[in-house]
Amino acid sequence: MDNFYNTLILLAIDIPMAAAIVLLFGKKLGESVSKIIAGIGFIAPALIAIYLWCSFGDAPKEYGYAYLRSFDLGLHETLGISLTLGLNGISAPLFLLAGLVGVAAGLQAIMSKAERKSTYLLLLLVMQAGLMGVFASVDIFFFYFFHELALIPTFIMIGIWGGFGRRAAAMEMTVYLTLGAMLSLLGLIYIYQATDWEGFNLIALTEYVKANSISEVVQHNIFGLLLFGFGILVSLFPFHSWAPRGYAAAPTANAMLHAGVLKKFGLYGLVQIAAPLVPEGALAWNPVLIWLALGNILIIGLVTIAQRDLKMMIGYSSVMHMGYIFLGIATYTVAGVGGAVILMFAHGLSVALMFVLATAVYQRTGTYDMRAIGGLGMKAPILAGFFVAATMASIGLPGFANFWGEFTIFIALWKNYPWAVAPAVLGVIISAIYGLRASAHIFMGPQTEAFAVASEGKTITDITRAERIPAIILLIGLAMVGLWPRSISESINEQLLTQPVYSPATMASVEQSAKPVAATAEQKEEPAS
Amino acid sequence: MNPLELLATILLIPLASAAIICLFLRRGGYAAAAVSVVAAFGIMCLSFYFLFNWDGLAVTGALPWLELGDYKFELGFLFNYEAATMLAVVAFIGFWIHVFSVGYMDDDKDKGRFFGGLSIFMFSMLGIVLADNLFMIFIFWELVGFSSYMLIAHYWDKDFAAAASKKAFIVNRIGDFGFLVGIAWAYHYYGTANISEITAIIQVDPSKTVTGIGLLLMCGFVGKSAQFPLQVWLTDAMAGPTPVSALIHAATMVAAGIYFMVRIFFLLTPETLEWIMWSGAIMTSFAGFCALGQNDIKKSLAYSTLAHLGYMATAIGLGFPGLAIMHMAMHACFKATLFLCSGSLIHACHHEQDMFKMGGLAKKMPITFIAFFVATLSICAVPFTAGYYSKDTIIASAWGLFAHGDGTQYAWAFGLTMLGALLTALYMGRMLFVVFFGQPNSEKASHAKESSLWMTLPLIVLGWGLSLGAGWFVYDWIWAGGAMDAMLPTDVAHFMVNGFSEAAPGWKGAHHIYEEAHAPWVEWLSYGCIAGGLIFCWFFYGRGPSADRLQTKAPGLYHVFERHGWFDNIYDAYVAKVQQPFANFISLLDVAVIGGLLVRGSAAVAGLVGMVSRSLHVGNIHAYVFWFLAGVVLFSAFALGLL
Repeated sequence: MDNFYNTLILLAIDIPMAAAIVLLFGKKLGESVSKIIAGIGFIAPALIAIYLWCSFGDAPKEYGYAYLRSFDLGLHETLGISLTLGLNGISAPLFLLAGLVGVAAGLQAIMSKAERKSTYLLLLLVMQAGLMGVFASVDIFFFYFFHELALIPTFIMIGIWGGFGRRAAAMEMTVYLTLGAMLSLLGLIYIYQATDWEGFNLIALTEYVKANSISEVVQHNIFGLLLFGFGILVSLFPFHSWAPRGYAAAPTANAMLHAGVLKKFGLYGLVQIAAPLVPEGALAWNPVLIWLALGNILIIGLVTIAQRDLKMMIGYSSVMHMGYIFLGIATYTVAGVGGAVILMFAHGLSVALMFVLATAVYQRTGTYDMRAIGGLGMKAPILAGFFVAATMASIGLPGFANFWGEFTIFIALWKNYPWAVAPAVLGVIISAIYGLRASAHIFMGPQTEAFAVASEGKTITDITRAERIPAIILLIGLAMVGLWPRSISESINEQLLTQPVYSPATMASVEQSAKPVAATAEQKEEPAS
Repeated sequence: MNPLELLATILLIPLASAAIICLFLRRGGYAAAAVSVVAAFGIMCLSFYFLFNWDGLAVTGALPWLELGDYKFELGFLFNYEAATMLAVVAFIGFWIHVFSVGYMDDDKDKGRFFGGLSIFMFSMLGIVLADNLFMIFIFWELVGFSSYMLIAHYWDKDFAAAASKKAFIVNRIGDFGFLVGIAWAYHYYGTANISEITAIIQVDPSKTVTGIGLLLMCGFVGKSAQFPLQVWLTDAMAGPTPVSALIHAATMVAAGIYFMVRIFFLLTPETLEWIMWSGAIMTSFAGFCALGQNDIKKSLAYSTLAHLGYMATAIGLGFPGLAIMHMAMHACFKATLFLCSGSLIHACHHEQDMFKMGGLAKKMPITFIAFFVATLSICAVPFTAGYYSKDTIIASAWGLFAHGDGTQYAWAFGLTMLGALLTALYMGRMLFVVFFGQPNSEKASHAKESSLWMTLPLIVLGWGLSLGAGWFVYDWIWAGGAMDAMLPTDVAHFMVNGFSEAAPGWKGAHHIYEEAHAPWVEWLSYGCIAGGLIFCWFFYGRGPSADRLQTKAPGLYHVFERHGWFDNIYDAYVAKVQQPFANFISLLDVAVIGGLLVRGSAAVAGLVGMVSRSLHVGNIHAYVFWFLAGVVLFSAFALGLL
C-alpha cells in the first residue's frame, strides 16, 4: 500500500512530463488529441494531489513525512543526492495548491486561443511537472532542480506568447530570477558545505543540525544568501520590479502558474529549509526582513493604488501580499508562520483567479486600462460577480482563505513586534482602496464613451464555460479553506510544532545570542506602537 | 434541540438562503424573494421561540476553528441579556423589512441579487449578535461591511451607487484598521479574545483595563456606527434601495457598533467613555443641524440616524450601556418605520425623493401617514411613545450625573443632547408638514396612491404598533390586571426588560440618578423643546411648501447645514490632492529608481552591475556587507569551478 502512495507522488510529476514528451514528438497528433493529452497531464496531478491530501492525515509518517521514498539516481555515493519524495505538513497543502492551480491554468490554456498551441501546452506541462516536484522533494538539490525546470519555460513563454513589452519584461525577469536562483543555489551549496558535505537530504540535514552546531557567522551568511536569493524570487522589496511587468507581459496560464505557485518556492524554502536549518542566522536577519516586508506592504501598496492597468495592478498587489507572508515568517512563531503558509496557499489560488478574470475582462473590452472600461457588469453580471468575489478574496474578506492568513499573521506579529502591527494593518485599507476601485471602474457605473465606441456592434457575452471552470475550481478552494480553515491548518500546525525554531522556548535562548543586532533595531523602532 | 444548536440554526438559515439564491435563483425574481422572506420568517419564529423559552442564564459554547500553536480561534456563542434584546430587534425588524422589500422591489430586475444580499446581511448581523469573542466579531463585522457594499451598490449602473458603495466599504475598513490593531493588542494583553474570559479577568483585577485598547476597539464602532470623524459614508449609503437604508439604519449595521460597545463596556476606561460621550453628544446636535439642510427625504433621515446614534453613544459614555441598547431597540422601531414610510412615499411618487416635490400626501396615503406621524412623535420623544422612554432618560440622566456632582462635562452633554432634542422636533416637523400637508407639488406626487399590502402591513406593525408601544415594557405593567396574560403574558417581555434595565446599568439606573437630582424642570424643558419645535415648523415651513423657506430666506445658513461641515470636501480633497499624487509619486520612484536602473542596463551584465550598485544605496550596512560577501562567494565559486 505504501508503494502505491509513493508511486502516486512520482506519477504526479511524471504524468505531465510524459504528456509534454508526447506533445514534443507528436506534432502531427492534431489539436483535439493534443488537447486531450494535455488535459490528462493537468488533471491527473490535481486528482493525485487531492487524493494524497485527503489521505494525508491518517498516513504513517517518518520524520513528519508521509509517502516518503528515495530513488537513487547514481549520485548518492558521490554527492549525496537522491530523488527523495514525500510530503510533510507544510508541503502537503502547497502540493495541493500546485495541483489545483495547475489544473485551472491548464484548462484555461487548453480552452484559450493561443497560437502554436501544442508548444504552448508542452511548456506549461513541463512547468507543471516542475511545480509538483518542487513541493514533493525532500532532497534540496531536487527541490532546486524542479524549480529551475519550472522557471525556464516561463522565460520562453513570455518571450514568445507575451503581450506588450514582452522582450524587455522577459529579459528583466530572466536577469532577476537567474540572479535570485543563483544566490539561493549558493546558499544551498553553502549548507551542503557547512554540514560536512554529507548530502542534500533535508531529513538528514535536519538531524545533522540537531546533533552538531553550525557557527554563528556561517549561519548568518547562509541565511543572508537564502533570504536574498529566495527574496528576489518572491519579489521581496526592493527586488520586485520584475514581477508586475513580467506578469503583465506573460500569457495568462503562465502568469497563473508563476504568480500562484512557482513564486511560493522561495517562501517555502525559507519556511521549510532556511529557518529550521540556520535558526540563528534567521533571527539575526530578522530586523532587515521586517523592514523590507513593510516596504512590500506599504510602498508597493501605494504603487498599486497608482496603477491604471488591471494586470499591472494585479501584479503589484501580488507583490504587496508577499509582504504579509514575509512578516508572518519573520515572527518565527507557529501562529505567524502557520498564517504565512495559509496565506501562501490562499494567495496562490486568488492571484490565479484574478489573472483568469482579468483575461476575461480583456477579451470583452480589448483593453486592460481600467479607466477606459465601465459598466461591464450590466453586460456580464456573472463575470462581475466572480470578479467581485475574487477581489474580496484577495483583499482578505472573511469567508475566503486569505482572511485567515492575514488575520493570523497580524495577531501573531503583535507578540514580538507590536510596533509593526499598525503599519502592516494599514495594508488592509490600501488593498480595499485599489480592489474596490478596480471593481467599480470596470463593472459599475455607466459605460464610458471609449468602451461604448469600442464595443459598438459587438455583442458582449457573459462569462464562458472556458473561463468559468478554472474560476470555479479556484473559488471552491478559496471558500473551502475560508469556511473551514482547520482543513489545512491542522497539518501545518503539527509540522510547525516539531520544528524548534518556531517554538517560543528555543526562540528565547537563541535570541540571547542574537541580541546585539535585535537590540539596536528595536531602539529605533520603539515609538510606532 | 439544545439551545446552542438552535442558535446555530438561527445563524445558518440566512446563510443557506443566500447560498440557494446565489447558486440557483440569480434570475429567480419572486422565487428568490420568497426564499429570503421565508428564511427571515424562520429566523423570527425560531428567535422568539428561543427567547420565550430562555431561562435568563448566559448560554455559551464554542467550536475550535483554527489552531496554530498557542493561538486559538474559536467559533462560539455568548447569549446574554443584551444579545437577547439585539436578537429580538434584528429578527423582528429584519423580517418586516424583508416583507416590505417584496412590495418595494416589485419593478426591479435584479431581485435575486437584492434578496440574496438581504440574507447575507442578516447572517452577518446575527453573527455579531451571537459571537463570543473578538475575533469572531471581527469576521462578521467585515461581512456586514461587505453586505452593505453589495446592497448599496444595487443600482450599480449609476455612478453615485458605485461611488457610495466603495466609500462605505473603505471608510468602514479605516475603522476596522484600529479595531484590528486593538484586537491584536487585547488578545496579547489578556491572553484571550473571549469576551466572557476577559470579563472575568477584569472583574478580578479592575486595573487591567487599558485606555489604548478601548480607544482602538472604539475605532471599529466609529466606522460602523458612523461617528465622528467617519460619519461621511452614512448619507451616501442612501444610494441603495430604501429597504436597505431601513435595514442599515434600524436593525443592522449602525446598531452593530453600539451593540459592540455595550458588549465590551466592561473594558472601557473612564477616559474612553468620556471621549465617546463627547463625540456622541456633539453628534446629536451637529447631525440635527445637517438634517435641516437636506431636501432629499432619505438624506434628512440619515442625518437623523446620525443624531440618534449620538444619543446611544452618549448613553454609553454616561455609563448606561443598557440604556444605549434600549434606545437602539426603540430607535430601530421608529427609524425602520420612518425609512419604510419614506420608501412607501418614494415608491408611490415614482422614485421622487425631494420632499418639496411631494406635499399633500396625508389624504392619498393614510396608512403611511399615520405610521409616519406616530414615528415622528416617537422620535421626538413625546411622552408614552417608544422614543420617550429611552431618549428622554438619556437627556435627563446626563443632568442627573451633573447634579450628582460628577463633573461639568455632563452638563455639556445635557445641553447638547437637549439641543439635539429641539433639532429633532424641527427636522421631523419640517418633514412631516412638507410631505404630508398642503397640496401636491409635482405631477408625480399628485398621482400617488397608497402602497400595496406588502408595504403597508409592515408600516402598521412597526409604525402603528411598535413606534407607539415598544417602550411600555420597561414599566413592568401588568396588562389589564392580568386578564391579558393568556395573550401577552408579562414575562414574555422579560428578556427585553432585563436587557434594558436590570442586567447592565440601564434604564432603571439612569432613571434613578435623574430622580435623585429632583429636577422636574428637565422633563418640562424637553416637552417645551418638542412642542416648540413642532409649532415653529408648522408656521415657518408652512403646509406643503414647494421650496425650503430657510433656503430662500437665509441661503448662507442653509448652505452651511447642507455642506455638513465640509467633511466630504476635505476627504475628497485629501484623496484627490494628497493620497493619489503621493501614490503616483511613489509609483514613479518605483519605476524610475528601482526599475529604471535595471531596465537601462538589462542587456546583460550591465543589469547585474546596476542591481548590485543599486542595492548598495539601500543605506543598510547589512546589505553592504552582504553584497560584498556575495561577490566574494560568487568569485570563489567560479574559481573553484562549482558553477
